[in-house]
Amino acid sequence: MSGTSPNSHRIASDKPFLLGLAVLGGSYLLIIAAMVLADLVYLNYGDRPVLGPERLQQGRYTGGETTVAVEPGRRYFFRRGENEAGLRAGNQTLTRDGSFRADGGTVTLLPRAQEQAAPITASLRPEARVRGIVLSNDVATVTTDVVHGQLWGEFLRVSGADAPGWNGVHEITHTTTNQLSFAVAAGTAAVGSLSLSRPNPLVQALRSRDIRFSIKLSLVSCTLTTLLSLWVAVPIGYVMSRFEFRGKPVIDTLLDIPIVLPPLVVGLSLLILFRYMPEWLSDAVVYKWPAVVLAQFMVACAFAVRTMRVTFDQIPQRFEQVALTLGCNRRQAFWRIIMPQAKGGLLAAGTLAWARALGEFGPILVFAGATRQKTEVLPTSAFLELQAGRTEGMLAVSLIMIAAAVVVFLIARTLGMKRIFA
Amino acid sequence: MIALDKITLRQGDFELCDVGLELSASEYGVLMGRSGCGKTTLLEAVCGLRNIESGKIILGDRDVTTLPPAERGVGYVPQDRALFPTLPVREQLAFALVLRSLGQAAIADRVGELAELLGLADLLDRMPDRLSGGEAQRVALGRALAHRPSVLCLDEPLAALDEELYGEMCRLLERVHQETGVTILHITHSPSEARRLAGCHFCLADGKVTRNE
Repeated sequence: MSGTSPNSHRIASDKPFLLGLAVLGGSYLLIIAAMVLADLVYLNYGDRPVLGPERLQQGRYTGGETTVAVEPGRRYFFRRGENEAGLRAGNQTLTRDGSFRADGGTVTLLPRAQEQAAPITASLRPEARVRGIVLSNDVATVTTDVVHGQLWGEFLRVSGADAPGWNGVHEITHTTTNQLSFAVAAGTAAVGSLSLSRPNPLVQALRSRDIRFSIKLSLVSCTLTTLLSLWVAVPIGYVMSRFEFRGKPVIDTLLDIPIVLPPLVVGLSLLILFRYMPEWLSDAVVYKWPAVVLAQFMVACAFAVRTMRVTFDQIPQRFEQVALTLGCNRRQAFWRIIMPQAKGGLLAAGTLAWARALGEFGPILVFAGATRQKTEVLPTSAFLELQAGRTEGMLAVSLIMIAAAVVVFLIARTLGMKRIFA
Repeated sequence: MIALDKITLRQGDFELCDVGLELSASEYGVLMGRSGCGKTTLLEAVCGLRNIESGKIILGDRDVTTLPPAERGVGYVPQDRALFPTLPVREQLAFALVLRSLGQAAIADRVGELAELLGLADLLDRMPDRLSGGEAQRVALGRALAHRPSVLCLDEPLAALDEELYGEMCRLLERVHQETGVTILHITHSPSEARRLAGCHFCLADGKVTRNE
């Protein structure tokens, strides 16, 4: 009979439900955090040595361990391949990438036990040593004892010099197979010894003229795009939210086209459109920086319009109606009553447009090209780095973009907070 | 006075046809009727917030049928009060006066007057989200009265107030009516409210307004 008593009603625990929410929501959050963290962790922030040519011949492991001749007293950098277990040098064994000092005349490559006759996949390269330093006309020319493989426009970190003006990061202005030249400050005294290393990719990226330009262009174009987008999105959002008129569904569809179209197609369409423009206009825009802004604007603005429309939709018409009875015309009601309430939405739309613009790549590539120091924005830089086979450089550019996005979001959040606490 | 002469208005499937209503100057009129019978719509038409298809609206001694809401000289208190969320009470009260480019001193005087009439003196610097229901209602009333309209339109001003506040607001409305002499059109569901406040009862049913003294 207890089944009918009012006290007998028991409900199942909420734990499985809450756990389910946590698992589903948490897994996504975890991926986001892990993604960003992986970028930050993957990049090796240490300087790298300037390395000479490869010492390992192509070949196979025929009789197990293989010895390689090295120069005693020299430092080598060992990179383990997929067929190696490690490297033995004297009494030390390296099982992961790193540099070591060769004491004897040989080192031993240790293949994985089961891999008989597998190809050699490791790499062993000597660290370049400085042979001579010549200073003339404030240009230092350093001769290395091996072929160094550095390129013009890359950066070197000089350390261990005992005169001022030497230590620090320098841009390579000239190279030959075993010589590197870089400018030093006027009046710098000569030194007898120094050591060279390559700064980490982040420093390389931040020092590079091309990437500095692309950072600047990205920041300027994104800001310009954001301002233009808000300029357009506020009136369109307001009209679409407040007024009913013929053809509204058509306009609604038109506004969504940049969102549903593949971005690349937006760029192509712009390019085609400018074939029909007067020549002076298309000369001024296509493959120049205005094309970057226009390409970003076409996509970013659509998102800003959406956001502003939702913002205005959420502000009841009552406020305007009361303002109208109190003596406002529509313009006054908009500026005095509606816009102050739309500040949060405006901030959200601006942030969204900025972030969209920062990540825009396809349409810019098609409509503005990827010319260094002209139409190169950060995503273009990342792409060019990847194309040149510099994954780490691409990662460095990505980190710059992450940093820029984080800064903008923090600014937006802070402004948003002010609004809430005021 | 308020005079609605053969007003026809349509909103979707809803329709009011040939509606008439007359209220003399300084009278307190209450308009009753079932939910959804068009009371609010009619009030909005008086305020100019809804277009009418035909008929005439006369407020005071002017035909305002074609005038925008701003020029009709009405005070409007919607059911949800619609206090402007970004303005403190003082600026809500001063809103209509600032629009009329009054001097600072004149505005301050008028705001002080309203604050005293409605008991808002301590609340002038509050934001609307920090007001109780009764306080918000008084601010909305003050905001609508600030520019000395000839007509005050109240949409269920006493709904959702507890009993104590209800009595207080009734007394306040009576006082406002006496002191300002404004013509009031008040919408309500409650017959007791109508009996207590109104000099003049209207009933809206089946698209027709009937007057019962």
